Amino acid sequence: MIFVIDDDEIMSECIAREIGGEDVKKFSNAIEAMQEIIKGNIPDLIFLDILLDGPDGFTFLNELVSYSDTSRIPVVVVSSLDFGNKKLIDYGIVGILNKDTMNPEDIKKYVREYAK
Amino acid sequence: MEKEVDGILVAAHELKAPLAILRQLALSFDEMDTKNEYIRSEMISVSERAIKQVNDLAKIKRLEDGLFTMEPVAVREVCDAVSHELEYLFSYNRRDLYIKYMNRSRLVTANRDLLYSVIYNFLLNAMHYSGDGTRAELIVRDNKENVKIMIRDYGPALPMDVWREIKRGWVNKPTSIAMRPGSSGLGLYIASKFSKYMNARVGAVRHRDGTSFFVELPTSKQATLF
Repeated sequence: MIFVIDDDEIMSECIAREIGGEDVKKFSNAIEAMQEIIKGNIPDLIFLDILLDGPDGFTFLNELVSYSDTSRIPVVVVSSLDFGNKKLIDYGIVGILNKDTMNPEDIKKYVREYAK
Repeated sequence: MEKEVDGILVAAHELKAPLAILRQLALSFDEMDTKNEYIRSEMISVSERAIKQVNDLAKIKRLEDGLFTMEPVAVREVCDAVSHELEYLFSYNRRDLYIKYMNRSRLVTANRDLLYSVIYNFLLNAMHYSGDGTRAELIVRDNKENVKIMIRDYGPALPMDVWREIKRGWVNKPTSIAMRPGSSGLGLYIASKFSKYMNARVGAVRHRDGTSFFVELPTSKQATLF
């Protein structure tokens, strides 16, 4: 199962389309996604936007890494923000995709590597 | 002043989001037949240029914070990357891009992202003003203490008032060069601002059959492998 967390519905749909398959769950905010995880639906991979309505992506990441059952979930950050040299490895981030420059193949690459 | 800075950055982010979506939607189409493929390619190209311009505007506001590190930069690598990115656009608009590296093209002291934008904006400007079937030229020349990057177009001569403003040192505001779309002078303004930050000298040369814009950057003392 793959989670896509983005408050922009069209962008979320674009990412989900590139992932393909039926095992994709889309969330428009971090709270809904976290509730799904608490129910026991642990995803194989998460595509996460940072600037979200309500708690932002970093709040979600902090929550994720603080629990043993979720701390190893691979996360790909999908954002227009420039992270420069900030070290994001502590958050379990396996990749950063810039919304301005990413290509469909970039998404597929992470799916092949972490969720298939 | 603080409010104005925030406002522009927020506006830039707001503008970028729909542009990124448009680009992503165009990319998500499968390759089309020859007849329609150019529409898809043009949508991608237009949205990418718009995203770049919005990013540059946001960077202008960030210059005040001095967040852009100056480091040794290989001019040739940056010129190659920019010309590669604009190759499609030149060809689509039936313009040629002629590139010539004189000497070795040493390392300069600059910020790579800002230098990329300066060359990108000058080249886009040259493409815009050159006529169908003409060419724009990118010439890099090593001098004793600096490297000069010159971009020449074969369009109308630069208006005297704009030339004077550039001669004074930099462009303080976008100055319209001609009354037509894409002629707001925004690219020149962006290039000028970024060059000033990098302590580079910007200038323009008027020709009877066009204009050359140039930027001179100090050479880096670091040894180069190029």
